Amino acid sequence: MVSIEAAEPATAPTPEPRRRRRGIQQTRGYRVFQVVNAIILTAVVVVTLYPFVNIVARSMSHEAYIIAGQVNLVPRGFTLDTYQLVLSDSMFWTNYRNTVFYTVTATLISIVMTTCYAYVLSKKDLKGRSALVGIAVFTMFFTGGLIPNYVLVTSLGLKNSVWAIALPNAINVFNLLVMKAFFESLPNDLEEAAAVDGLNTYGILWRIVLPLSKAIVATMVLFYAVAFWNSWFAAFLYLDRQELWPVTIYLRNLIAGATGAENIGAISEANEVQAEATLKAVTIVLTTLPILLVYPFVQRYFVRGIMLGAVKG
Amino acid sequence: MFRRSWRHTAAVATVALLALSSVTACGDDSSDAKDLSENRAGAMENYAAGTQFKATEPLSFSVLYNNHPNYPLKNDWLFWKELTARTNVTLEPVAVPLSDYNQKRSLLIGAGDAPLLIPKTYPPDVHAYVSSGAILPVSDYLDLMPNLKDKIEKWNLKPELDTLRQADGKFYLLPGVHEKPWHEYSLVVRTDILDELGLEIPKTWDELYTVLKAMKAKYPDVYPFSDRYSQPNPAGNLLNLLAVSHGLEGAGWNFQHVSWNAGAQKFEYTAATEHYRHVLEYLNKLVAEKLLDPESFTQTDDLARQKLANSKSFVISGNAQALVNDYRPDLAATNPKAKITKIPLPVGPAGEINPASRLENGMMISSKARDSKNFVAMMQFVDWLWYSDEGQMFARWGVEGTTYVKDATGKAGLAEDVDMIGLNPGAPKHLQKDFGFANGVFAYGGRPELVQAFFSAEEQEFQKVMNARTPKSPPPPYPLTDEEREQVSLWETPLKDHVYQATLQFALGQRDLAQWDAYVTELKSKNMDAYLDTVNKAYERYRDEHK
Repeated sequence: MVSIEAAEPATAPTPEPRRRRRGIQQTRGYRVFQVVNAIILTAVVVVTLYPFVNIVARSMSHEAYIIAGQVNLVPRGFTLDTYQLVLSDSMFWTNYRNTVFYTVTATLISIVMTTCYAYVLSKKDLKGRSALVGIAVFTMFFTGGLIPNYVLVTSLGLKNSVWAIALPNAINVFNLLVMKAFFESLPNDLEEAAAVDGLNTYGILWRIVLPLSKAIVATMVLFYAVAFWNSWFAAFLYLDRQELWPVTIYLRNLIAGATGAENIGAISEANEVQAEATLKAVTIVLTTLPILLVYPFVQRYFVRGIMLGAVKG
Repeated sequence: MFRRSWRHTAAVATVALLALSSVTACGDDSSDAKDLSENRAGAMENYAAGTQFKATEPLSFSVLYNNHPNYPLKNDWLFWKELTARTNVTLEPVAVPLSDYNQKRSLLIGAGDAPLLIPKTYPPDVHAYVSSGAILPVSDYLDLMPNLKDKIEKWNLKPELDTLRQADGKFYLLPGVHEKPWHEYSLVVRTDILDELGLEIPKTWDELYTVLKAMKAKYPDVYPFSDRYSQPNPAGNLLNLLAVSHGLEGAGWNFQHVSWNAGAQKFEYTAATEHYRHVLEYLNKLVAEKLLDPESFTQTDDLARQKLANSKSFVISGNAQALVNDYRPDLAATNPKAKITKIPLPVGPAGEINPASRLENGMMISSKARDSKNFVAMMQFVDWLWYSDEGQMFARWGVEGTTYVKDATGKAGLAEDVDMIGLNPGAPKHLQKDFGFANGVFAYGGRPELVQAFFSAEEQEFQKVMNARTPKSPPPPYPLTDEEREQVSLWETPLKDHVYQATLQFALGQRDLAQWDAYVTELKSKNMDAYLDTVNKAYERYRDEHK
């Protein structure tokens, strides 16, 4: 760098080096930028990671230290009692299994329905296309309301089954529109060529379009899976037996109980008490961990996918 | 994402709205209300107070079940089995997580899908359902409930029950009834600091001021009093304790718009009374002399607990649970020498009163139950389980010889292998978790021995002091019509918001108490007088109709 700077005056007169000189100055600026950028991004990483690390530390700390505000990045008064409390409950595992089952089933259904709908909508020459789009978009702004929905689901006999969770929420209109935009961006010639070679519509979708759409499909899987994993409201509405509840309800209820909104007018046990402060932390760790683990694997698709869908003009 | 959260917010609003609109149309004409000849299947002929209820044929009733995470519902509980053995009745629980019980209840009632029995309902929650006709006016059927009637008479509960009446003169909730009021919340004080300063436990609010002053003199860099329960409303508990000690109905987290003025025989706006002004003056004095932490009005509970745990404060609000579950363990970790106790409610200008109500949450019954041929049997069953001495004993203690034993004096105690709130540490089984007794859905109210069965010795002592005080008489009823309720609920929010805001300003000294009159004028501009007019007219209307 020093030598290049020394060379500056000598190369200054001709236009060609001047351009290079500008390039040199940019390089210097770029180095500064890189340093600043690294600092800022490190700060962002710290700010983003800190709550996670803090939660993990809290989940393994004794409640007294949490209450005293002494837990930061390292657990104090290390204990796994709360993990034990939560994990030793067979209902926790039952509900956890439910969550996995609901998430997988609902995501599968959603991805199939959304893909089919979006692909159809991406065909510009389709008759009634704008009406179909309109129907979907309409539901973004208007819903039947809670009680009519409940009555509908109940009278369809979906109550107390996975269908009550999977079917009413099968298509998310936002996801649908992103996917539609993605399919529209695929070159039409490809499909025409495939048609000339003898593929029917389903063949085109299955053999040509979908293999080219891994990115968007992966993104949608992630969107849907995260949403279903975290959801509790539909389950709360339509499931009347605790052995059917997803783990989100289990944990939500556990926190409500531990924070003592409602007790029978007596003092709850000392071993349950310990739970209160660490409970929230344990809860968050246990529920977010599996879905967090999914991210790294889908991430490269995730970034590409959402860009591809969104940029389409 | 957007859609999800929007839908959630909308859901809550929709539930409230639709609960108000008429859903089920099985209205009870008062003409046929008394004709129960078609509804006696399974009922006992000679059921009376003290009789063991047993249906003459096997029956089952659906019940909304508030699932408590500390003792999640189990189908093999002894409670279910023994209940069926004794009464021939099987309960079919519809499990709802405790965290969102009210919402699901509104939904089920609104959708016409509610179970027959709907327990764990607090009195103000009933209003929303009355006009829909989905809830049974239980006051019409008290004759079917001899145990309840007996208790109303013996314990003189009529004035309390009257406060539940709606504009039609009926009530729609079977409340939990206590023989003695049960006051829970008070102040918790570090007694080792009192000992160190040679002070007694303060008995009145004025003595509390002196004590705080002495603490401040010794520890100048501490705020001796730093309070919790400030979310969502500032100083929820402290304001309420002060207000009730001044003879008002309630403030803070128990905010009551109107308070009964026995002298003038009319209702006054709580936050515009001279009493309320005195409350604010008192708080203002504490803040101004740095005895009360100004953050008391805004901080989180956790922060207040931290201050107490780290000896940055010595006084805080609490109940028995907070004392045993929060403060003692916190202090044990940071300062093993500290001693802390819940003091009897400090006495104010209203004298030595016990402000607690003798009613608590209770049960609504779906009006569709009225059409069932088992209606009478169901009412008898409800009367036995929730209101008879045997039923209450069973729901709380369980089965003699299995879950509890009686000593020579007839006093109940847990069986050796059964634990409850750590009374039998190390016992293999748990009264709530393994047997299903002492369950908040089925066991509440009753005689003090029963209510306080599982209280610690110090809490029983606290209750003894509180019970020696005069119970506060409930205000006279002022049932509002639907239109009136709708109207006043439109006035309530702006009034309440303004009261909270001004309370904070006055207490913290941001607004001079000399501006009190201006503040009252502001309340008037927010329809305070119209509000009072409506309430007082409703009171007079009810009084004249029920002379």
